[in-house]
Amino acid sequence: MNFEIQHLVNNYPLILQGLLVTLRICAVSLAIGTVLGLVACFMKLEGRGWPYRFAVAYIDFFRTIPEVVLIFWVYSCLPLLFSFRLTAEASGILALSLFASAYLAEIFRAGINSASRGQVQAALALGIPVRVIWMRIIMPPAIRRMMPALVSFLSELIKATSLLSAIGVAEMAYQASVLGSKTFAYVEFLSAIAVLYFVTIFPLSLYVRRANQKLAGKAGH
Amino acid sequence: MFALEEQVEEKRSPWGLVAVMATLALIGVAAWKYVNWQLLASLDFSVVWDYRLALAKGLMVTLYLTAIAGLCGLTAGTVLAALSQSRLALVRWVVVAYVELFRNTPILVQLIWIHFALPVFTGWNTTALQSGTIAIALQASAYFSEIVRGGIESVPKGQWEAAYALGLPARTTWGRVILPPALKSMIPALVNLTISFFKATSILSVLQVSELMTITNRISNAVYKPIELFTAAAVIYFVLGYILSQLTLRLERAAK
Repeated sequence: MNFEIQHLVNNYPLILQGLLVTLRICAVSLAIGTVLGLVACFMKLEGRGWPYRFAVAYIDFFRTIPEVVLIFWVYSCLPLLFSFRLTAEASGILALSLFASAYLAEIFRAGINSASRGQVQAALALGIPVRVIWMRIIMPPAIRRMMPALVSFLSELIKATSLLSAIGVAEMAYQASVLGSKTFAYVEFLSAIAVLYFVTIFPLSLYVRRANQKLAGKAGH
Repeated sequence: MFALEEQVEEKRSPWGLVAVMATLALIGVAAWKYVNWQLLASLDFSVVWDYRLALAKGLMVTLYLTAIAGLCGLTAGTVLAALSQSRLALVRWVVVAYVELFRNTPILVQLIWIHFALPVFTGWNTTALQSGTIAIALQASAYFSEIVRGGIESVPKGQWEAAYALGLPARTTWGRVILPPALKSMIPALVNLTISFFKATSILSVLQVSELMTITNRISNAVYKPIELFTAAAVIYFVLGYILSQLTLRLERAAK
């Protein structure tokens, strides 16, 4: 077996373009997922009533079905059900946004629930407005506590974008398999994108490990 | 969310409710206008029943792959976790490199890599199912080892010292002192991981390994009824996954 680096030298712009598409899809679905996730999170925080039940069902459903099923469902069923066309990338982003919103809702909820009850009650007793309590007392520690979970979800999301190659979105895994089938240099291209994925995701994992250790250390004292 | 907050929130303005109603009405109008009613009326879920045997076979392969992930993951993962406690730096580094490599790249890439590279390197042509089994076993071992390692590191240091002071051989120390409490405390996490591998088996459909998702895709292409079949697949995955995760929740609560 000889590893022909020449294939990579000739075709690297396409791979890098794929990386950009991967990152773009991640950014957009993270943004949409955050908005939907916040809505679902606050509906679930209500704790009762129909918004709560709807949010629980929504979060459980999108957390339990496999991403591949969701992607195929959005890609091949939505355009039939509704008479409009979605590009492959748009339906991929929609599927990943739904997936992200369910996971992010739970992350946000855990963060907000970790706020100190005593501090909130003290603030209410002092007559501080609810809006200020949210901005100054609940959110800052909540954000600090949910950062590791958020970043670790981001790395899951980056990995999940590779699934969009199955519906023909021109992200990195898709470019590699197309180039592989053109040149029969599968091993070269797949190794190259594996390295690129690793270089993108590994720093995030390192951060998560550090941040978790720091949080555990704080809790210990 | 907080009991006291409810009193403050009583004078909430009605505009929030109005906004929600308006949004729902807008979505309703849009749905009414854009929904393809003709198609919705012609949906025929009997096709799912017609192909029940094929789907059941697919589900069997999915469960087989999940079992492989769970069993290989637990055994190889435990070995890797034990090796990560080795006194030899080289061994530790190799384990860390292996685990990080598999945790930080998408399983899709690993899968296709294994399918195309193994024949090139070893001359051993694997079928799609074999490649899929290998990929999911390797990935599972990396993820499980991380959890088992957490369990091992949560065993108090005193246990190690006591075993050492009693002169227990390494095998007994691991088998009787360290691993039982480590694994026991990690049971919910291990079951959750197995559930996420149950979901991940659907990724193997890119190699057509004839698990549930591959079968669904094939039938849907043959009879062109994607809505019925993909919905059925989603329901099957959801029902099984939901039951498993509810059982894990019960398990966690019972453990507390």
